[in-house]
Amino acid sequence: MARAGACGRRLARQGSGASPTGHESRVTELNYNESELLAVLLSREVRDGEVSACGAHSQIPAAGLLLAQELHAPKADLIILNTAFTPFRTSKAFHFLCQRGELGLFFVSGVQIDRHGNYNLHQLGTDPDRPKVRFPGGYGGGLIYYAARRTVVFRTEHTRRSLVEKVDFISAAGSTPPDVIRLGHPTKLVTPKASFRFEKDEGVLRLDTIHSPWTLADIQENTGFDLGVSGPVPATKAPSAEELTALRGVVREKMLVASPAYAAWARSTLVEPQSA
Amino acid sequence: MGVPYVPIIGLVGTDLLKRRDDMVVAADPFGGKTLSVVAKALRPDVAVFHAQKADREGNVSCGYDIEALILSEASRHVIVSAEQIVDRLTEKEATGAFIPGIHVDAVVHARFGAHPGGCTGLYGPDKVHMARYIAAAQDDAAFDEYLKTYVRDVKDHDEYVERFVPREWREPVRAVGA
Repeated sequence: MARAGACGRRLARQGSGASPTGHESRVTELNYNESELLAVLLSREVRDGEVSACGAHSQIPAAGLLLAQELHAPKADLIILNTAFTPFRTSKAFHFLCQRGELGLFFVSGVQIDRHGNYNLHQLGTDPDRPKVRFPGGYGGGLIYYAARRTVVFRTEHTRRSLVEKVDFISAAGSTPPDVIRLGHPTKLVTPKASFRFEKDEGVLRLDTIHSPWTLADIQENTGFDLGVSGPVPATKAPSAEELTALRGVVREKMLVASPAYAAWARSTLVEPQSA
Repeated sequence: MGVPYVPIIGLVGTDLLKRRDDMVVAADPFGGKTLSVVAKALRPDVAVFHAQKADREGNVSCGYDIEALILSEASRHVIVSAEQIVDRLTEKEATGAFIPGIHVDAVVHARFGAHPGGCTGLYGPDKVHMARYIAAAQDDAAFDEYLKTYVRDVKDHDEYVERFVPREWREPVRAVGA
């Protein structure tokens, strides 16, 4: 299966029972790829009139922000760090905007995300002195996760290695004791297969909706923690024609001028309007 | 900022906090009912960075890189290398990422001084060299070899530029790194 971010005109996805060895299974033809799906789902989290932001090298949430501004949040202030869509020249200005509580929504990802809404951007392996893999870290996120009013976590891979019971290293914690000053919390986790909502009082993620064509069994099989469901789980509202048209049209055009890296991503990932 | 420590919102409950002795969880000093992380100020002895242009007074114009301003305010000593040194930066150049000479101890003329990194507006990173650097950084022996080739066995910056900055970047008639 194509990884999100990789080139993909249309994605034929194999549902439950599918395996690389080629068991017979249903194949559903979707008219969007995983990156487009994620961008649309993230865009729905943006509220009009709020300040919403994503970090540098964050093509999918950047597309989501621009899409929201185009469709339902024309008065949203967007901050896409290190692109033409940044009002600030310094990380200091962005830092203090967040600390003042002026950031409504932040999009963040992690290598691992656990049931308690903790994410890991630092290392794999639990020995801090001998990690199996070390990542750049995410110092900013460790502050923004507590200061933004809402944070939506996203992950381009929905597997047992990325969605785990307990992260190897907590870069930012989903919950904190009540006496700790905190302005906001994670509210959602979105993957190519499903959306989870964060139950603030219990401090856990619960399966919220499932994206077509996946089933509850698929989600259970690919998630490393208890989904917290007891009854049927509703299907995610699929990207609409209006959302996909705006994403592949206006948003694509805006990304072409955001920065060279964003332009390259938009060209390879967002389906060109003519061929859609 | 110049203060010895600041409270910050965030980082409570992270493994990062466990690994740092310059950040602690502390009670609100005005009443003591809430907690937050308090971080000790970073006060580097020396900051060294590269800029597009500097003048004889130590004023520096470094494109869009205002992080360098934060760095020079925080550090006790500041040394700036620059692509070009002029008598006096013009009014127009003293905007954007401008570092007043009062923070700067020394300026050094070093054309292509950011190589193999890039210098915004003048040249981009040298991707071929960067790939070599990343490969060399995988183990100590390879990295020692890298240092020998590019640092220890090089007489001075002029020799470095002559030998390792791509020739086409140095042609005076062409825009570099474009």
